[in-house]
Amino acid sequence: MIERIIERRVTLGSKSGLHARPASVFVQNAKGFQGQITLSKDDKTVNAKSILSVLTLGAEQGDQVVLKVSGDDAERAIDRLASLLEEDLG
Amino acid sequence: MAEIHVLAPLDGTVVDLENVPDEVFAQKMAGDGVAIDPSGQVAVSPVAGDLVKLFPGGHAFGISMHDGVELIVHIGLDTIELKGEGFENIATEGQVVKAGTPIVRFDRATIEHMGKVMLSPVVSSGTGTIVRRASGTVRAGRDVLFVLEV
Repeated sequence: MIERIIERRVTLGSKSGLHARPASVFVQNAKGFQGQITLSKDDKTVNAKSILSVLTLGAEQGDQVVLKVSGDDAERAIDRLASLLEEDLG
Repeated sequence: MAEIHVLAPLDGTVVDLENVPDEVFAQKMAGDGVAIDPSGQVAVSPVAGDLVKLFPGGHAFGISMHDGVELIVHIGLDTIELKGEGFENIATEGQVVKAGTPIVRFDRATIEHMGKVMLSPVVSSGTGTIVRRASGTVRAGRDVLFVLEV
């Protein structure tokens, strides 16, 4: 069986970018899903369940990031995580 | 099981993370750890590893070790909003660091004048469980802040 991967491009909403607070909220939510989740910006892709890895993207407000999610709960995960990234998490 | 001794990255007084007025840190969403009410002016690396993240504005940095251990030092709260004012980076992102390597110089008076709280969380955001932690006064790069079991 081929595992399905869902992908979505999102514009980052947090006004100070993906810094410690929004990254923590995002990763905490990502950890609640079983599948593999990655976040990419430009040509860099990181594990979305590691705060420090997410911080290394250096994503700023308005940047385009790409979420990729696999696993049984992928649809729920991508909806939840994409909407978090679009919000201003402070 | 191995124990990793995480040194204090800042001179100052240890404060429970639960008492930090920022819910993300207080609820340990960023990871378990402690905060330091700093008395010095230089933040150093708490462990040997890779300085995988150093914010351009100097308010926070992260060290990655082998085996998935990650440590984040956040100098003051909401200090990203200062855009570097009150901070001066000493180290360079991507650099290999030792425990005690100077990373950022900061000026408490400037940061507080801009209305920010100086309490500085030091958290373990990767693998490992904190089994012991310091209390009272700690010296940057010299005293153990907490011990991680991995």
